[in-house]
Amino acid sequence: MEKLSTRHLLGIKNLTRKDIELIFNTADNFKEIINRPIKKVPSLRDTTIANLFFENSTRTKLSFELAEKRLSADVVNFSASGSSVSKGETLIDTVNNILAMKVDVVVMRHPNPGAAVFLSKNINASIVNAGDGTHEHPTQGLLDAFSIREKYGDLSGKKIVIVGDIAHSRVALSNIYCLQKLGAKVKVCGPPTLIPKYISSLGVEVEYNLDRAIAWCDVAMMLRIQLERQTNVSEGNQVKLFPSLREYANMYGLTAERLNRLDHKITIMHPGPINRGVEITSEVADSEHSIILNQVENGVAVRMAVLYLLSGREF
Amino acid sequence: MKLFIQSAKLISKHSEFHNQVIDLYINNGKIEAIGNNLTPPEKVNIYTHNNLHISAGWLDLGANFSDPGNEHKETIESGINAAAKGGFTAVAISPATEPPIDNKSIVQYVKNKANGAIVDLLPMGAISKGIHGIELAELFDMYETGAVAFTDGKASVQNPNLLKTALLYCKAFDGLVINYADHKDLSHKGMMHEGEKSMHLGLKGIPALAEEIIVNRDLYLLEYTEGKIHFSTLSTAKSVELIKEAKKKGLRVTADVSAAHLLIDDSYLDEFDTRFKVQPPFRDKSHIKALIKGLKDKTIDVITSNHVPEDIEAKKREFDHAAFGIINLQTAFGAANTALKGKLELEEIIEKLADNPRRVLGLEPIQIKEGEMANLTLFSPEENWKLEKSDIASKSKNSPFIGMELIGKPLGIINHNQIVYS
Repeated sequence: MEKLSTRHLLGIKNLTRKDIELIFNTADNFKEIINRPIKKVPSLRDTTIANLFFENSTRTKLSFELAEKRLSADVVNFSASGSSVSKGETLIDTVNNILAMKVDVVVMRHPNPGAAVFLSKNINASIVNAGDGTHEHPTQGLLDAFSIREKYGDLSGKKIVIVGDIAHSRVALSNIYCLQKLGAKVKVCGPPTLIPKYISSLGVEVEYNLDRAIAWCDVAMMLRIQLERQTNVSEGNQVKLFPSLREYANMYGLTAERLNRLDHKITIMHPGPINRGVEITSEVADSEHSIILNQVENGVAVRMAVLYLLSGREF
Repeated sequence: MKLFIQSAKLISKHSEFHNQVIDLYINNGKIEAIGNNLTPPEKVNIYTHNNLHISAGWLDLGANFSDPGNEHKETIESGINAAAKGGFTAVAISPATEPPIDNKSIVQYVKNKANGAIVDLLPMGAISKGIHGIELAELFDMYETGAVAFTDGKASVQNPNLLKTALLYCKAFDGLVINYADHKDLSHKGMMHEGEKSMHLGLKGIPALAEEIIVNRDLYLLEYTEGKIHFSTLSTAKSVELIKEAKKKGLRVTADVSAAHLLIDDSYLDEFDTRFKVQPPFRDKSHIKALIKGLKDKTIDVITSNHVPEDIEAKKREFDHAAFGIINLQTAFGAANTALKGKLELEEIIEKLADNPRRVLGLEPIQIKEGEMANLTLFSPEENWKLEKSDIASKSKNSPFIGMELIGKPLGIINHNQIVYS
């Protein structure tokens, strides 16, 4: 059986193109399976997986849990807010406690960048990073690329623009790495205050004008504007990074009117949850060019593939 | 106690034997004889080593001993041991203790605790009461008790009016104000140097700008007050430029750089290794180059340890929650010498460890001649070595240098008729 070059999935940065293709080919099989009347396979029977969510998440958690259950794994869930951890029990203690209960794989969402790397160095289990702050969210990056591949067959030469809060996104880096490894061209678009100063070192171009960005692209990935970024200004002399949601929606909201002005059709993606009427209007989100719900469906298949490949089990 | 140092190359610009291999006889703490090929007297301990070098005792301008308040991280005693092993015969210690050194009784406490030690402890007092950055502490009172300078440690003075007041007030007794340049609104929640690396890691960056804006502001305040300021642990290229210009203008400004920051760049943080989380952050190679140039052209006067002990609980954590700081008294010379080899002459490096720190604090330089009390550092500048965890004298073990090859090893110190030699 083909194997991944890594024991953990901490980020896309360290995956090879071959790894990504292996995950996609495996996900193709699982996608076929989950569309059968009986969606469950015994591949991970007797494998115990802990889902540790130190930060709120609805759909990622649900998607992982579904993936795990369809592989027949035993699943335990742990949720805690990041603040309770920073106040008292350390991450390493929390996780060691759970590992003492003989867990094979840990899926973790954590607010701090590097938390998954930290875990992989300190505990003996396969780690799947389900988002570590503003660092990486590899399974989201994979499922997004998988969804584009599904629509176009190949990513090579495809033009993709990522729009929105790049600086605080948990998925932007994973998306950029994944798309580039598969041969796509990537631009980022958003207000300059939400674009990291050194982003061009990754080989992506920066475009501040949404109309120009969508005129260029084949696919627009709209990122969620995190409302807390806009309002959490109580500390020190920190300032809002853009003045109002209204102004953001006017400048960077994807509307049918904007799309109608284009001379070609583009594909619309969004990792969810959507702020309807802010980064994207309902009309666009629900249109035939949107593959937002395909992303959700593919998320389960891609996560099944990742968990299966990391477990090292044979069919 | 009678000591005989045999075949040591003397590095001391003040001495007629500068750059010569000499012998040195010390009796009862005093240099009794110095010269070429002396005959050792009877019943004397002879110290010699392959490629042994000797210089005036080094003075560290920036160590934190966590005592009082955090004695589980370091005590004055363990800090002194680390300093001695690192070749320092004197250490100016940060007031960032709990409670902080912000009044004369704590200045006195520190002095009493170090009384009779081989290493001279030079307490620095806080600029502001409680290091809160609001009200001026009793600077003169502390000065009279023995505080050698005034600083709020890593709590950079944010209020320009407070710094202006401190600079003016200190003029009455020629006191020295030291500021660590960090604009907190710009470095807010920053974890590492802002650059390509921080972006790749998703860690919030500390822009060079946060330091440079404060350096610039403080130089304006210095010009206005006609006072005296020292910048601790400069880390950026533009800071060096700003200070170079200010020195040209004749302002009374001096600066130091942390030894580790000459050797380690931000690429070491690739694996989110919290041993490399430090204030100021390890910058990129271009900044390091500018710092070294600043040392060479005398813009930067002093090399410091920037020693900040942290226990394992504070360090073995998620990067965002881990404490800033590294211990570096034992490795300061090794780090600086490794980084500066071939770029600065050995005597230039030693000047920044021995003579310049004293000059910055307004202390007399140490003379190595007959009749003077021996205050000396022994070292071997070409020796390759690695710090092992078991060699660490500090109570905390948060060194980024464990297992890293360094060139140049401190061997020991002589001061107050005592010797530490390994």
